[in-house]
Amino acid sequence: MINKVLNHLEEWLIAFLIGAATLVIFVAVVHRFLSGVPYIQDYTVRMNLSWAQELCIFMFVWMAKFGAAYGVRTGIHVGVDVVLRKLNGPAYRALVVFGLLAGAVFTGTVAALGANFVWHMSETDQTSADLEIPMWWVYSCVPLGSSLMCYRFLQVAWSFLKTGELPHHDHGHVDGLEEAKA
Amino acid sequence: MNASIIFVLLILLMLTGMPISISLGLTVLTFLFTMTQVPIESVALKLFTGIEKFEIMAIPFFILAGNFLTHGGVARRMIRFASSMVGHWHGGLGLAGVMACALFAAVSGSSPATVVAIGSVILPAMVKQGFPNKFGAGILTTSGSLGILIPPSIAMVMYSVSTNVSVGAMFIAGIVPGLVLAFLLGLTTWNIARKNNYPRLPKATFKERLVAFKESIWGLLLIVVVMGGIYSGMFTPTEAAAMAAVYAFIIAVFVYKDLPLKRLPKVLLDSASMSAMLLYIITNAVLFSFLMTSENIPQAMADWMIAQGFGPIAFLLVVNILLLLAGNVMEPSSIILILAPILFPVAMKLGIDPIHFGILIVVNMEVGMCHPPVGLNLYVASGITKMGISELTMAVMPWLLTMLGFLLVVTYWPGLTLWLPHLLMK
Repeated sequence: MINKVLNHLEEWLIAFLIGAATLVIFVAVVHRFLSGVPYIQDYTVRMNLSWAQELCIFMFVWMAKFGAAYGVRTGIHVGVDVVLRKLNGPAYRALVVFGLLAGAVFTGTVAALGANFVWHMSETDQTSADLEIPMWWVYSCVPLGSSLMCYRFLQVAWSFLKTGELPHHDHGHVDGLEEAKA
Repeated sequence: MNASIIFVLLILLMLTGMPISISLGLTVLTFLFTMTQVPIESVALKLFTGIEKFEIMAIPFFILAGNFLTHGGVARRMIRFASSMVGHWHGGLGLAGVMACALFAAVSGSSPATVVAIGSVILPAMVKQGFPNKFGAGILTTSGSLGILIPPSIAMVMYSVSTNVSVGAMFIAGIVPGLVLAFLLGLTTWNIARKNNYPRLPKATFKERLVAFKESIWGLLLIVVVMGGIYSGMFTPTEAAAMAAVYAFIIAVFVYKDLPLKRLPKVLLDSASMSAMLLYIITNAVLFSFLMTSENIPQAMADWMIAQGFGPIAFLLVVNILLLLAGNVMEPSSIILILAPILFPVAMKLGIDPIHFGILIVVNMEVGMCHPPVGLNLYVASGITKMGISELTMAVMPWLLTMLGFLLVVTYWPGLTLWLPHLLMK
């Protein structure tokens, strides 16, 4: 149940962030052009969009952290699989589990480091340059995203031990090919 | 000493098959906790600030733009256009395949997706016309990789991110080598087809060409939006990428009508997770190159090379071999992010042009995608052609040799790469 909510939250968050960031930059560029047009510029000067670039960066940083967690669940993270392909049986299982646990250890460590960092930052009143929001809000995506990623690694490891299956992402997937064959 | 520990650890971790990003991060953490005085806080800071550059944000936008147009419908339009233009020459559909791959790859930005999209439409048609399966397989595997050389290219953005070379200059520098390589692959195809007398298509009338052109032009204008915008100074590369994404969305939804609006969330989600994966590698690669610099490793390597009396010629040869070996087992973005920061300072000391060096790396990545044992394109192509990897390796040979020859030319003739950027950016 909680997992389901978490899955949807993750998916909606990152899909929203990439779409919104695109719109923000699009609007900012259009705004810049309109500011050079007589008559229209009278309206555009009232809007100040200098924060668009910063907002876009923050949105993508958040998208990167949560998207990386989503990526663990869908198996999109690329690795070097020359050795894995040659192995089978217990050796294969052991290596896969080792890799997943290493991922959990790394992301867990980063989450801890990040939490500590954000904690210290929340005691200062650093704000971002253009949007003037507290920096620790922005950076809190690191502990949050990394903890989620750590959780995902453990989840994938657990389901691998139970079912022997790993999520696999198909990098060559293309839509709309079926009609071609018909 | 430290350098060898770092590299051995990194390679060992990578060989376990864990994500490359994780092996980079773990190497750095292990090294920090056990062997160095660099304060953890400064590393923590890098973890957060690693991707806070507006230039890097071009990557998600380009991926999104590409994903909007990575669709069977767009592939069919490109194939139709290509076959109406070149189908009547020797090689017929095969030659059209090279051209369609080049066009589609430039727009979609993904090599494996190009192989699949063009391949699943054109291969059955080729087999029906009597082409041997291996001929088509060879064409697709190699031509599919053209996308990372023809701008807009994510591999080039990666190089710019790790070396601070201008993205715009890299894109412009990629045009001529990209066209030349497409031409050479086409020539190889033409030659083989002429010798074996493979079927040709009837010559298309002018009207057919015009119709096919009008259909495909909307997709191809994406390249114009990006390159024109950057070159004229209207957009920064990142803004150009965002405009390209909006443009691609409009074309896919309202002009081509390939993408029903209800599938939009899915495209956004796929693009976001692909970008997040790459951004995650970047974060960890930034951490790794921070460690490298703080241990003075690139500097030490540069000094060693010069002390050994390595000139640019020997150095570039070593770089090529190193990159081809790495291309065996890793995908382009990771290789560029890990190796470029190390090799770049050496190249600069030897007086190699930064743009030329970047294009050389990108061409290497292209070759790496198509050559055995692990080229990604080979795997994808083996999936759609139902050929084994070793059989496919033989099929790819003529085109692969062409690419290797081209790589040598790019390596030792900087003029080919630098001519256009020097002409335009003076």
